Amino acid sequence: MLRVSAQTTQTEIDLAGVTGSATAADQGIEHGALLLGFAEAVAQRDSGAIERTREALRMAAGEAVVVDAAGVAANFQRMVRIADSAGIPVDDMHNEFGKAVRAELGLEYFRSAQNSLPSA
Amino acid sequence: MAFDYPETFRPDIAEAHRAYWNKLKSPGNWWRPAQRIAIAAASREAIDCDLCRQRRAALSPESVQGEHHNQQDLSATAVDVVHRIVTDQTRISAAYIEANESDGLSKPAYVELVGVVVAVLSIDEFHRAMGLSLEGLPAPGPGEPDGYLPGQAVSGTGFVPMIPADGASGKEVDLWPADRTANVLRALSLVPDAVRSWLALSDAQYLSMQGMGDFDQPEGRCLNRMQIELIAGRVSAMNECFY
Repeated sequence: MLRVSAQTTQTEIDLAGVTGSATAADQGIEHGALLLGFAEAVAQRDSGAIERTREALRMAAGEAVVVDAAGVAANFQRMVRIADSAGIPVDDMHNEFGKAVRAELGLEYFRSAQNSLPSA
Repeated sequence: MAFDYPETFRPDIAEAHRAYWNKLKSPGNWWRPAQRIAIAAASREAIDCDLCRQRRAALSPESVQGEHHNQQDLSATAVDVVHRIVTDQTRISAAYIEANESDGLSKPAYVELVGVVVAVLSIDEFHRAMGLSLEGLPAPGPGEPDGYLPGQAVSGTGFVPMIPADGASGKEVDLWPADRTANVLRALSLVPDAVRSWLALSDAQYLSMQGMGDFDQPEGRCLNRMQIELIAGRVSAMNECFY
């Protein structure tokens, strides 16, 4: 979805932001590094980091952005658990675009890849 | 009033959370209201469970025996499933679900339980993200589960039966918004209300299914789509989610 939205808006981004590179997250994405830090803190449930990153994001981008960001992070804490609890495979493993993104990010090494790659 | 957020918060978030709390205290298809609330409470206890911490660090979760931090009136099997979903979801397997079925947790009951856990967890995560106290759980309402099963659900995609992509018909005609589906939409469809519940939450916390078609600046959001998907991608990666 990140790659598609970047292509739609003709923005050059670096997908390595998804793997945790703050420098990459900032490429083409406003407040990318701050959003990345906040997302990581929420996913880790690190209350100290959440407070620090939330305030940094609030100072830079405002309260409404923090609220939106918290909602998205909370949403995906749910979605990953739906996927893994039901063991669903990726819908189209043969799609070239998806294959390229998974390869670029090294997602095949995730344990849950076995739900889509039986031989993994 | 529940979910009395500051005025700076988008009102649709409070409305969605409040609406879910009303569903939580109502009977499901497979669990009574008090059991659904106990499942919700157990999902909160999992966050600080020592056994879960030890299991997560172990090569195999089954190699560490013990008791979960639990104060709820639920079976040991149900408690273990709740804790696994919260703390170690990537190691849930078809064999684990089959074993639980042998221990009395049917697949429809499992799916409804997953739906409750993930909905409550996402609301709680929003509160933690915003530095808010967790909302008090509601008192159980009246009513009994009706045992409803969608007849068109079939096995073969994941660990549990699901409604096929072309199966949103009859009572489930509303199940795929925007007439599109994907395996993640189908995942909990053995209990259709579980799908409806998370879609309603997703509309407020993330994007509506219709809004997902906007890859530039979604209506009603301060974040643009790239910012939204950076957060989504990073949280998913931190959880090692391949899907």
